[in-house]
Amino acid sequence: MTTNVPALDAGAAAAGPRRNFLDVATGFWSWASTLDHKRIGLMYLVGVSLAFLCGGLFALLVRLHLWEPHGTLFSNADYNQIFTLHGAFMVFLFVIPAIPGSLGNILLPLMLGAKDVALPRLNLLSFYLWLVGAALATLAIVFGGFDTGWTFYTPYSLYTEQAVVTIGLAVFVLGFSSIFTGLNFIVTVHKLRAPGMTWFRMPLFVWALYATSLLQVLATPVLGITVLLVAFERLYHVGIFDPRLGGDPVLFEHFFWFYSHPAVYIMVLPAFGIISELVSVHSRKPVFGYKLIAYSSIAIAVISFLVWGHHMFTSGQSTYAMFAFSFLTFFVAIPTAIKEFSWVATVWRGSIALNSPMLYTLAFLIIFSIGGLTGVILGALAVNLHLHDTYFVVAHFHYVMMGSIAVAFFAGLHHWWPKIFGVMYDEFLAKIACGIIFVGFNATFIPQFIMGSRGMPRRYATYVPDYTDFHKASTIGAIVLGCGIALMVYYLVASLFQRRQAMQNHWGGVTLEWHAPTPPPVENFTTPPVVTTEVYDYSTLDLDTMRRPVQ
Amino acid sequence: MFAHLIQDPPKNFVEDPAPPVVPDAAGQLPRLASTFTDVDGLYYFTIVVCIFFFVLIAGVLAYTVVAHRRKTIDQAPASNATHNTPLEVVWTVVPLIIVMVMFAWGFKGSIDMTTVPVDARWYKATAKQWNWTFTYPNSTQESYGELWLEVDKNAAFVLESTDVLHAFYMPSMRVKRDVIPGRNQTVWFRPTEVGVYHLFCAEYCGNDHSRMYAKVNVVTAEQYASKPPPWVKWDDSTPSAAAASAEKQIYRTLCLACHTTNGAQLVGPSWTNLFVRQADGTVVGAQREVVVAGQRQTITVDEAYIAESIRKPDAKKVIGFENLPMAAFALDDQKIKGLVEFMKTLAPAAK
Repeated sequence: MTTNVPALDAGAAAAGPRRNFLDVATGFWSWASTLDHKRIGLMYLVGVSLAFLCGGLFALLVRLHLWEPHGTLFSNADYNQIFTLHGAFMVFLFVIPAIPGSLGNILLPLMLGAKDVALPRLNLLSFYLWLVGAALATLAIVFGGFDTGWTFYTPYSLYTEQAVVTIGLAVFVLGFSSIFTGLNFIVTVHKLRAPGMTWFRMPLFVWALYATSLLQVLATPVLGITVLLVAFERLYHVGIFDPRLGGDPVLFEHFFWFYSHPAVYIMVLPAFGIISELVSVHSRKPVFGYKLIAYSSIAIAVISFLVWGHHMFTSGQSTYAMFAFSFLTFFVAIPTAIKEFSWVATVWRGSIALNSPMLYTLAFLIIFSIGGLTGVILGALAVNLHLHDTYFVVAHFHYVMMGSIAVAFFAGLHHWWPKIFGVMYDEFLAKIACGIIFVGFNATFIPQFIMGSRGMPRRYATYVPDYTDFHKASTIGAIVLGCGIALMVYYLVASLFQRRQAMQNHWGGVTLEWHAPTPPPVENFTTPPVVTTEVYDYSTLDLDTMRRPVQ
Repeated sequence: MFAHLIQDPPKNFVEDPAPPVVPDAAGQLPRLASTFTDVDGLYYFTIVVCIFFFVLIAGVLAYTVVAHRRKTIDQAPASNATHNTPLEVVWTVVPLIIVMVMFAWGFKGSIDMTTVPVDARWYKATAKQWNWTFTYPNSTQESYGELWLEVDKNAAFVLESTDVLHAFYMPSMRVKRDVIPGRNQTVWFRPTEVGVYHLFCAEYCGNDHSRMYAKVNVVTAEQYASKPPPWVKWDDSTPSAAAASAEKQIYRTLCLACHTTNGAQLVGPSWTNLFVRQADGTVVGAQREVVVAGQRQTITVDEAYIAESIRKPDAKKVIGFENLPMAAFALDDQKIKGLVEFMKTLAPAAK
């Protein structure tokens, strides 16, 4: 993408050591009170990474406990708390906010050629709300924990003697954090695009964040209301969900999934956006079927509101509801398939650089094809009646949540790391870690597909000996996966201290963020950019910027 | 929350589960033991489709990554295509057709699985934290944690929960249905192979969710029809257990229609005054006026008299009921003893 700014901000560089957003000010307060989207994004990055590591630790405990049929570590009650903590931390504190909050926050204004998001104070507020939500979730553990599963199904969540109201409050607050981020991004995309940046010149990551934001703003209030109703029901016994008071527990399932199915796309659409960027840059080719991918993000956002009933095929809903929900579920598979095919076609016959972001991207493409295709298996009604609530479902959504979304997050992190920090991590270790994570992940979840097909129900603290071998294989896989992630954390953190310089445009990207200085100054661009060419036009790439180290 | 970490080691899943599931020929699903073949057919159809697309995607990626790897920093891509309309139409329409086939097949299968045949035998499964109770058609005896069904007969269940959500899941039968408090859900299947199968709770229901298990015995018609039926387990370890067994399994099924336990008269005498409880707590037989071969006699009620009255009701007729017929019941001594114990529990105190 050409602009009227020189690709490299030579003028600023000549004026002496440049002040970028990282070193422009120091001290705790300069971060705690910052309105800079990049700093807020970095604080999100630290927060969601810690939540991910906590959630991952809980996952390892779950897997270690399931080494033997009778369980090795915990009482059944403690196991139930730990798998609930794993789910709640991963979903509410990591997967939902991770990509929009960190990479989205940092990159959206840069990609649009803007100085910041439209509402910087709201942006900081949404981070603090995330922090309050995380604190409440931690407090809920101190108050006795919660053992409801992350789904809080009634009436169990109404009767259990645990800190359900506290974690409900945490989810409520986190919901507002999510809504504010979404609102902010929508306004930013509408109002702060650089001159010449038409809708169809926006990078696909921006399209994905825009579709995500629509979902966040429209769906999250339903979750907020639902957890409030659960809290009211527990505190004042109003009789909405409790069958003993004339309430309907299935109504809760409808409310919950009315949010939580779109939430799956709140989680996955930003990952799709990252992958769309990365396949293009590392193949040095325009994204294949750009408009179709952009439209399919919006199509997925719309249809995802109408498929929530596929989480409830065994709940005894009417035949008509089963018909509609199954039909629409298959229908939403089509825009998703179009994206996958388009990414493969983008890589096809490109100039393919096998660096670590691309390896993570290829891992995503392989894992997501399995995650998506197994979703099709689960959409088939008769088959769903057998597989629902088994490890097959567990494996399917981990292929999407962990194998796709988290791996796409890693890919994006590796891709934009040199841009954000101006330093490069150890590429060799990065490639090794990517391989370990890929192998460990598949070793963890392929056995879960098989034992799920054979009938192993989920959320079991103990199990019949039929499934022992699969559980052992899965546990070994989880340990390998954990090692891979530990290695990744090590070399990423170490890179900040080793300070090996990155190149100005490390991977040869042509979207606007690569035209800003590296790392970007507080105002992002020294001169406001003007867009004159189409997006992903690699004829405009200046190869010198790939060879010139950061000052 | 980690307090029990060491002190309270977890107990075994269940003492005595069914034998391990036997996988089918393809090694994926448990061997099908019901008539729901659509589940397996559709499962393997979708698996084959998935493997096809997976191999396609992975193959194309593997080829191009090897063939078109960037070797110098300035290497241009071998192609700059951004569109190929025929290709895009194909990869939209072909998956659409395939998923519509899956949808129709799956819907058809689910209709069969949710439509209970008219000739089904109705059982009831009651779920509560954390066990299953089953009741049988034409039997007053419940069974706990273990279920008996007849092979090749349609079995339908009314599912009831007394507390939270549960789910009735039998992998070998391919059936799963949530059990919802305040609603009557139904599920049905037709077991086609004699054997012992798992029944799991598949909806998280609290602490011992994973131990909420039942063993399902699918038995032959002869075993199912045996007397007493296989789910009836007579307990005569103590007099009161024998009385309870007799009440549930004999009195409520066979005697209730003619004999009350509260003194009221139906077509037969009430059982209240057969025994009397003395001041010291012992229970002895009461005096009774009967007609034997046309002669009035006074007898003392004992086990022999009760046995005779059940096996040969016309031998001694109670005054007032001389002309009312009673069918003979060929109960064995164990059952008679149990009934006597039950009758003793009804004894009023001696005046």
